[in-house]
Amino acid sequence: MKPAPFTYVRPKSLAEALGCLDDDGDAKLLAGGQSLVPLLNMRLVRPTTLVDINALPGLATISPTPDGGLVIGALVRHTDLLASPLVRERTPLLAAAAAHVGHRAIRNRGTVGGSLAHADPAAELPAAAVALDATLTIVGPAARRTIPARDFFVGPLVTALEPREMLTEIEIPGPVQRGWGFAEMARRAGDFAIAGVAGIVTPAAPGRGRSSTARLVAFGAGDTPLRLPGAAALLAGQPIDRALARAAGDVAARECTPRDDVHATADYRRHLVGVLTEQVVLDCAARLGS
Amino acid sequence: MRSKPTRASSTDVADAVGLERDLRLVGQRVIRHDARDKVTAATAFAADWAMPGMLHGVVLRSLYPSARIKNIDATRAASMPGVAAIMTAKDVPRNTLWTDVPGQTTAVGSLRAKLHVLAEDRVRHQGEPVALVAAETEEQAREAAEAIAVEYELLPGVFDPAQALEPGAPRVHEEGNLLAHWRVCHGDVAAAFARAAVVIEGDYRTQFVDAAYLEPESGVAWIDSDGVITIRVSTQVIEHFRDVAEVLNVPQNRVRIIGTYLGGGFGGKEDVTVEVYLGLLAWKTGRPVKMVWSRQESLLARAKRHPFRLRYRTGALRTGQIVAQEIELLADAGGYAYLSALVLLYATVTAAGPYRVPAVSVDARVAYTNNVPTSAMRGFGAMQVVFGYESQMERVARALGLSPVEMRKINALSRGDTLPVGQVVDTHVALPELAERAWAALGELTPPRAPHVKIGRGLACNFQPYGRIVWLHDWSSAWVGFEMDGSLVVRSGVPDVGGGQASSLCQIAAEVLGVPLEQVSVYIADSALTPLAGTTTASRQLYMSGNAVLKASRELCEQLLKAAAAVLGVDRDAVGLADSAVRTADGRSLPLPELLHACSRMGVPRSHLGVYHAPAGEPVDLEKGAGKVFPDYTYGAHAAEVEVDTETGVVKVLKLVAVHDVGRAINPLSVEGQIQGGAVQGLGYALMEDVVVEKGINMTTSFASYLIPSAVDVPDVRAIVVESGEGLGPFGARGIGEPPIGPPAAAVANAIEDATGARLSVLPLTSERLARALGLM
Repeated sequence: MKPAPFTYVRPKSLAEALGCLDDDGDAKLLAGGQSLVPLLNMRLVRPTTLVDINALPGLATISPTPDGGLVIGALVRHTDLLASPLVRERTPLLAAAAAHVGHRAIRNRGTVGGSLAHADPAAELPAAAVALDATLTIVGPAARRTIPARDFFVGPLVTALEPREMLTEIEIPGPVQRGWGFAEMARRAGDFAIAGVAGIVTPAAPGRGRSSTARLVAFGAGDTPLRLPGAAALLAGQPIDRALARAAGDVAARECTPRDDVHATADYRRHLVGVLTEQVVLDCAARLGS
Repeated sequence: MRSKPTRASSTDVADAVGLERDLRLVGQRVIRHDARDKVTAATAFAADWAMPGMLHGVVLRSLYPSARIKNIDATRAASMPGVAAIMTAKDVPRNTLWTDVPGQTTAVGSLRAKLHVLAEDRVRHQGEPVALVAAETEEQAREAAEAIAVEYELLPGVFDPAQALEPGAPRVHEEGNLLAHWRVCHGDVAAAFARAAVVIEGDYRTQFVDAAYLEPESGVAWIDSDGVITIRVSTQVIEHFRDVAEVLNVPQNRVRIIGTYLGGGFGGKEDVTVEVYLGLLAWKTGRPVKMVWSRQESLLARAKRHPFRLRYRTGALRTGQIVAQEIELLADAGGYAYLSALVLLYATVTAAGPYRVPAVSVDARVAYTNNVPTSAMRGFGAMQVVFGYESQMERVARALGLSPVEMRKINALSRGDTLPVGQVVDTHVALPELAERAWAALGELTPPRAPHVKIGRGLACNFQPYGRIVWLHDWSSAWVGFEMDGSLVVRSGVPDVGGGQASSLCQIAAEVLGVPLEQVSVYIADSALTPLAGTTTASRQLYMSGNAVLKASRELCEQLLKAAAAVLGVDRDAVGLADSAVRTADGRSLPLPELLHACSRMGVPRSHLGVYHAPAGEPVDLEKGAGKVFPDYTYGAHAAEVEVDTETGVVKVLKLVAVHDVGRAINPLSVEGQIQGGAVQGLGYALMEDVVVEKGINMTTSFASYLIPSAVDVPDVRAIVVESGEGLGPFGARGIGEPPIGPPAAAVANAIEDATGARLSVLPLTSERLARALGLM
């Protein structure tokens, strides 16, 4: 099918784009279009105006921050994440997550901002953003505000963005998190995950393999990227071995809140969260140890 | 790395039967004329057609699986912008089509099944067509269709074939829910089980799947200047012009179907799709009308492959010899009969597999439900049973400590054996060789990449009928003729579904008539202008129309050579056609155009119409084991190597080797394409494809929910072509359209058991099912 009729605008500045959103309460932003265009074509969404933000300047850059982190513009493509030495060096977890997004054609068009703002509970980048404790910058008609990624995702396809607001950039704090892990299971290469886990383990001190903090985030296992505080707490201050990783997996399986759909039951997703958590925790520890 | 498909001519088998080897074009890896056009997007598929003043037609479909239609109010829709026509059942000249349903037991008797063009007082499945709209644009037509107010009263439905057969179940049709019932009784089954050293019981389930062709159902209809209703459509059966005529209540010679090159058929375009609706709207409006079904509506409402429940009880001697098979099949027909009874017949005849089994009983039923209808799909009932009989073969072999290949060698059919239905196998069966080659071609065992990963291998064989049931008295015709310049024309009403059907005919004609392939033009699939060739179904087109072209070409060759002999003053036996010239034994030659001019002067025809009649027979009583059902079978063996993650249950197929005895490969490239495509479609069936229907509601109406494998989800299939020369087709060819889809599911299930010890008996073989079988959750 083809989309229902809409007005198409292509603003040249952020102010102009925000003005377009202000003008039409039923406007939608078009970035990479990899989720929006199928929804348009199936007429599951029928915006009256499509605001194409691809011509906005300055939103497609990846910049280092003094603390060892990165600021990533909302229009950065998944492909750019994968190609960027800065991303690989400073946020290897994000690079690993981006590699699992769709197929090459999708990664060439799809954007970081689009993936976060679309907020599919099974998507990779939202989970990575929460695991990396990213901060999102949002601009609206009145002001600019920031929000931690963990507070941004409200429900399936629902975020803290207000109708006239726009996500402009994502800041990932430094220092570089070397103890990272990322794993997912999808029914086919390139599909949204049946379930996945992103994790960061931060060592307290120079001691190897001992963690002071851990952040574990499951996706495809709840209505939003789902933090797994119980499993993370288990790891705090402990030397990580297979038994501990397995125990963390068991806790993670219990604390996630997946649903049934045509692809898998909630029970199987729980099982996967357990297995993948164990794997991610071991990967985090192995990376810290090496 | 992409491994090259291998063509391994089977010299052992071929020599045994004297395969003709001195051919010039047949057997060559010819690039098909349609391949370049498709790659460069030059092919005008059905939906690419447009005409001046053309309207767009859409179908309004039932929201509910079982409901009474109390009222249809199209007043508002009719007044909407651009709307040219709205039609409901009362506007259709003949809205009810009756078909005779075969099914031989007294429980059913001879049944007539009905199909409504548009739903009348009730709907029997979700997506059943209720009304038609034609409008200036597709959007206007869809908006108007949404504005038609249909008042439904929900009725109880039945959504499981076993429940449908219980007393008191809601009746889908007034005649009852049992649509067909076939039985085979061969030998003394009880006595045979008494002799068995091992008895294995299995209960298997297969799923609904979709044809999922790239090109959805589509076409354009118009009333031509001669008043003939002309429909250019993507179809496997141009003979549906008769159905359109019946619905419109016009003479059959007033409807013409022009078949396009198809973007896939797989049986999904064997039944009528858009053509009747197009005919109705063109007839009603007098204007050209286009109709293209969306992917969602194709997935929602088009007939699927039958889900089967298969119960097997297999008895074997300690030697591995199978002595008894007791088989119960139950299939889901959905809301209407379509081809269900025949699909079930195929399953019944092939249920015991390509093996010599002295005692077999098969009890097969298919029932109406309020699920999406099921009908033809590549394999046509002979596919679902492969999962049953090959799972059983593997389990018997394991119980007796026999290798998969030994097990097949011990039991394989051979010439002279009698099938359970009483048909004597009268062509070569290369099964032991096919199984050996498939297994050997797997090569070195892949080492597991991690401790929790297991590697396993599985084998599965099959046999698939090609050509229609003998009592349907199948025939095909083709016209072959020279133009004055020596260029050749082939005309045959063959729909080309993408398997190279048209191209193979050119190769055969060029081979016989001694002209280069480039000099052949082929006109296909026009019910008014090409001699009728029958359906492109049942793996029959090369067999049937290939023989018709061969016959026409040979007759034409004979006509021309007689004339040439007269012109040159030599004996008929002293001349031959080669390189676009007549060649004599003493070294003289006469260019073809000169001969053709001479023929023109002498009144010798430069064309011939060939009609090929398949060997026919009378209907047999399967229960009494009376004889022949199908002309012949194509045999195959697939070997799979899989990797199983024992923590998640994820299965990855690392290798798949597919070996088929195609009799003769007319174009090995096309044969390998059929084998690889069929095997990959079979892997989709094995691992992921699943139309999920919950209480009659289809939950998988997009490609986000209905999963088909993409290139990265399957291994490079290694196709090995064996040529025994034993087929009934031209130059000894057998049909290869359907056979390769059959074995992958069983081969993968057997490999999973080899890797993990877990036996999966429900398709698709998802990681979740395996995780449960492994006790992980």
